[in-house]
Formats: sequence, structure tokens, C-alpha cells
Amino acid sequence: MNARAVAAWSATCLFIVLFTTNPAYKALVLAAALTALAASAGFRRIRGWLTAVVLIATFATLLNFISAHLGATILFELPPQIPALGGPYTLEALAFGFVGGITIAAAILSAAPFSLLLASHEVVDALPAALSRTGTAVAASLNLVPAVATSFVQVTEAQRLRGWRPRGPRSWSEIVVPVVLTSIEGSIQLAESMEARGFGSGPRTAAIPSRMQRSDWLLVAASGLALALFATSRISGWAVDWLPYPTLVAPAIDPRPLAAGLLLFAPVLLWRSRR
Amino acid sequence: MAIATVANLTYWYPGTAEPALRDVRTALQDGLTVVAGPSGGGKSTLLRLLNGLIPHFHGGRISGRAQVLGFKVIETPTRNLARHVGFVFQDPELQTVYSTVDREVAFGLENIGVPTRVMAGRVEEALHAAGIPHLRGRTMRTLSSGERQRVALASALAMRPRLIVLDEPTSQLDPGGAALVLAAATRLVDEGQAVIISEHRLDRLLKAATGLVLAAGGQVESADPATWRPPSAARPPPRTSVSGGEMWSLEGVAAGFNGQPVIEDVNLNGRSGEVVVLTGPNGGGKTTLLRLIAGVLAPLAGRVQRRPGRIAYLSQNPTALLHRPTLRAEVSLTLDRSGENERPEDILNELGLLQVADRYPRDLSTGERQRAALAAVLPGSPGLVLLDEPTRGMDVAARSALVRLVTRLRERRAAIVLATHDSDLTLALADRVAHVSGGKVAEETMETVRA
Repeated sequence: MNARAVAAWSATCLFIVLFTTNPAYKALVLAAALTALAASAGFRRIRGWLTAVVLIATFATLLNFISAHLGATILFELPPQIPALGGPYTLEALAFGFVGGITIAAAILSAAPFSLLLASHEVVDALPAALSRTGTAVAASLNLVPAVATSFVQVTEAQRLRGWRPRGPRSWSEIVVPVVLTSIEGSIQLAESMEARGFGSGPRTAAIPSRMQRSDWLLVAASGLALALFATSRISGWAVDWLPYPTLVAPAIDPRPLAAGLLLFAPVLLWRSRR
Repeated sequence: MAIATVANLTYWYPGTAEPALRDVRTALQDGLTVVAGPSGGGKSTLLRLLNGLIPHFHGGRISGRAQVLGFKVIETPTRNLARHVGFVFQDPELQTVYSTVDREVAFGLENIGVPTRVMAGRVEEALHAAGIPHLRGRTMRTLSSGERQRVALASALAMRPRLIVLDEPTSQLDPGGAALVLAAATRLVDEGQAVIISEHRLDRLLKAATGLVLAAGGQVESADPATWRPPSAARPPPRTSVSGGEMWSLEGVAAGFNGQPVIEDVNLNGRSGEVVVLTGPNGGGKTTLLRLIAGVLAPLAGRVQRRPGRIAYLSQNPTALLHRPTLRAEVSLTLDRSGENERPEDILNELGLLQVADRYPRDLSTGERQRAALAAVLPGSPGLVLLDEPTRGMDVAARSALVRLVTRLRERRAAIVLATHDSDLTLALADRVAHVSGGKVAEETMETVRA
């Protein structure tokens, strides 16, 4: 699995998710990312990511449902005197929020392979020479994700034994603050170690040059084709946008942008298991 | 020949009013130079000055001059000095970039643009120099901490630096791993390499040292390694109480992760007013045992029992729990939670931390942070005290303070379990010793331990 091929796939996923409002195509990208991660990393490893993504998506959905009092199909109403919350609660606002949640979930899971499936050095190796200095920051950032998970377990255990109990959002600061600080410190130490070994001193060579395998080229080709097909679909008007307001309607679906989304399932066949 | 000279150098970390190095004037010669001194005295800062991490990576304010191997440190970025000065950090886990030994050793060579065709030879040469040719091809996660630290040494050596700097390279290692790292470092000196090393285990190093630098309170002075003697540990206070009733027990316990046992068929117990010391190599299962006793890890089989009461647990990464704005607030938090009527200053004074009580705990040095974490978990009178490698990075004075503190807790009838590699600590405190290795636990007689 080559980081450049993964980057091509992730970029295409993000392009489709961010350049359409049509929930059908967004959902297709979400399904592709989810299936690719489950096939290569396994559900056990992505469980934490899924939990976080569901929470974030739910928050986005509810936020729009609560704050956007637009749309024709009223589900219920709260008295308008209630600040911020008062007014009609509509099916359209719920649907729009739900699509926002899908967008966020698809975007996060499209970028997840960089942390879940690739080691930080594989990403650093794949960076073009012009970005070699950026590599320190990239490696440190990627190191942050697993470091957060490890720190979370350590800190929660230690604080529980010190008498901490979850009592509302404020109490979580005793977990979140040390977890974040410890993870950042770990990443800074990694960056310090890389700097002390000459990282960024000039053009790099590689003990084992990062070569693209056949499967990587196939993924790049599938991603490129998907990108071209979807971009063409947007320009040609085949991939029609969707807006739930004022009345909720089903999104229009065209087989050509749909085919672009289906090409993003290629990693299911191409990525070897990295459980 | 002087390989490094420092003149009138004063350095402040970002956002601090007190300098970490004060008007340092010293010359470091070829051969083996040992840097000694108390925790927080400026050892790590001085070493980081030698490869330019201070000031280029850490920032802050600096005045004066420093020259290493003819390079002006303040004007030469670390990434350029790295070709001439190799650096090995304290924690072997936090300096690994690649997942295999060969790639890890080659990382520095890749950074300085060594042609691919000559890299394999340079890696082989470095692995031999660090005494680990047998680790070639291994994945990093299968290595012990001692092996990882020697891979870090090989990674530095691969760049053929003129000077190797090691910052407390054995503080995270068991005695076997530490001996191998120190042997590798002294062998390099025999082969003509200049080595500067900061350590708390000084006995063996001082015999081979050609230079000695003492750092304390940010001030640095030279001493004669042949005549200077490190401060000796204070004798532990005499025991005045006897052990009481059983506080915790493990009966036929197996424990591990993802259904795979790390330890099996463990039968062990502890009483109030008793210190049980767990010894054994890294990865043997000591931490798993402590987590079982603490109740944060459920057994796969068998029964774990403990009497109700407050548990004080110092984990392997104790500084992770520090999050209050001052050390005093950190200690107060534990005391408030446990409802005990003790002043935070008592334990801070006992651990020699009163002068840093109002500082942000994460701004302290590694050794001070370790003591800060002890102060955060141990105030008052816990019923069960579980300490995982409590002497990591501690100097002699801090270790003596720890011995006094544990002795006091024992007198207050706490049941204490210590996991440690530190044989001096074991001899000073242990009532019973259990050797944990390969997933098995075997009690040892005190006669065996003393022998």
C-alpha cells in the first residue's frame, strides 16, 4: 500500500463529498470509505473511529434540526418565546442536518487510512522532496492519533484511582486536558528526535525507495477515473445538486456520477489486510 | 583536545523567568565525559545545547557562545549539526520513526542524502558498533526497551558522527538492558569515539570517564572523575511496626489482553504495613500484576480480592495525569477527593519539591516530574499503594526521599506493592520480593535478593 496511491483515493473521496450537495453521492463515498477501512483494518480497529464519527455526525444533525426552523413539513413546534429553541421543527431541517452529518463522516473516514493503515514513516517517505521539511510536522501529527488513544486509557485509569468520576462535561477536563497534553508532548519528542537525526537537512534518499506496486497504480487509475467522471458530471449537469427546502424531495440520481462513486470501492479489492 | 567549548552562556526556556543554564563556562574534552547532577539541574539542557536542539528546536532566549567540533551552535541549525553530533534520548519508545530495525538505523542516512547503494553497509557497520548485529531484520515492536535503546544508539552511529551524546539512556531500562547500553557506549570510547553521557548510574561510568561535568541549579562546573564521589543514598529509617491483616490477594489468576494471557496461575498476597516488591525484566508482566491489584484490569481467570479503601496508583507514565496549573493544586486535588486533612506542603517538602510548588508541573524536569507525580498520588494515608517503576529518572537524593516516604506509608499501615528494577530500592524497602518473568511469578527469599 503506497501512501501516494492512498492520497489519490482520499483526495477523490473528499472532492466528491465536498463538491456536491446530493446525499446519494455523499452516502456512496461514506459507504466506500467505511467498507475499505473495514476490509483492511477490521471492525475492531475502526470501532473507536466509528464511535467518534457517529457522535460528530449526530451532533451536526441535531444542531441543524434545532437551529434551522425552515421547511414546510413541521414535525412539532416549541413556543417562540423560548430563546434560540423556539419555533417549528421541520423534517427538512432534520434531513439537511443529516446530510451535513454524512458529509463530515465521509470526510473523516476518507482521511482515516493515513492514520489507521499507514505508518507515519510511510507518509513521510511519500512526500515530494519540496515538502520534506513539512514531514516533521506530518509525522508528529500522525503520531498524535494513536498516542491519544494510549494516553486516554492511562489517564482515565490513573484519574479514576485518584477519585475522579464522570460528573458532567466539566469533569471530563481532568481527562481531556492531560490526554491532549501528553499526546502533544509525545509528538514533540518524536519531532525532536527526527530533527536530531538530520531530518529536513536537504534532499532525502531512501534505503528502500517507495515504489508503486501494480495494486497502487490500479487504485490511482480508479481514483483518477472517478475524479474525471464526477468532475465531468458536475460540469455537464448530470450530478444534480439537492436542497431539501422548502419541501423535502428525493435526490436525483444519475448513473454516471453513481459509477464514479462505485469506483471508490476499489480499495476493498486492492488493499491487503492491515489488521 | 576540546570538542566543545561554552563561554558565558545563559539560556532561558520560552516563557520562563529563571534561566535553565546560568553563565556556563566549560570545555569538554575528547574521550568519555560524564554529566552528573541532581534532577532539574540543567543536564538535559546542556546536552541539547551540544547538537543545537537548544536553542533551535526549543526556542527561548540565549546569550553567550557555544562551539561544538568547530561549529558555532547558535548559528548552525540542528539538522546540520546532526551530521557531526549523534544524540540518543531517554525514552526509547518516543524516538522511533520506522517499524523495522534496518530502516530505523538508516533514517539518519536518508535524511542527509547518503546514496542508497552504500546505506546497507553503513547500517551493518552501525549495528556492529552498537553490539546488535543480531537485531537486523527485526521489527521494532518486538524489541525490549534495552534493545530499542541500542537501536537508537546505532541510528546515531550510522551517521558517523564525531561526537555521540546520550541523555540518561538507561533511565527506562532494566539492569540487563542498562548494562548493555553502557557497555556499548564505553566500547565506542575505546574505539576512539567522543562520548558525552548524562546518567544517574555512575559507578561503572566514572571508572571509564576521562571527564566529569557537574550541573546543578543551571550552573556547570568540571570535576575530576577519579576523585569525585556521587552522593550516597541515605539509610532507610528503621522499621518500627509489624505487618497486619491481608489487604489484597490473587488466587490462580491469569491476565492479559485480547484474551491472550500475559501472566498465568498467579498466587500472591499482601498485608497492611508490608512492602511487596515485584522484580523482573521489562515486559515480564509486572505492570499487568499492578493493574490487576488496582482493579483496572479484569482477570481472565482466578480471583482478585482487595479490602476497601483508597488506592494510590503511580502508573508507568505517571506524569500523564498532571493537569493542574500548579503542583500545589495537583496535590490538593487528591487530598480534597480523599477528604484527608493534610497540608499539600507536607508531601512536597518530603519529596524536595517545596521550591517548585507553584510551578506548572509539566514545566519541570523529567526527574522532578516523576517526584511531582508521586506527590500527586501519595498524599494522606492511602490503604493500598501501587508504584510502577517509581525511581525512573530520579537522582540519589530523590530516591532517598522516596524511601522515607514509602517507609512512612508503611508505618501508617498501608499495603505497598512496588514494581522496580532498582536493586537499591528493593534492598531498602522490601519485606517480600516476587520475581515476575515470562508470565510466571515466583517469590524469592530476602537472602536470595541480598545475594
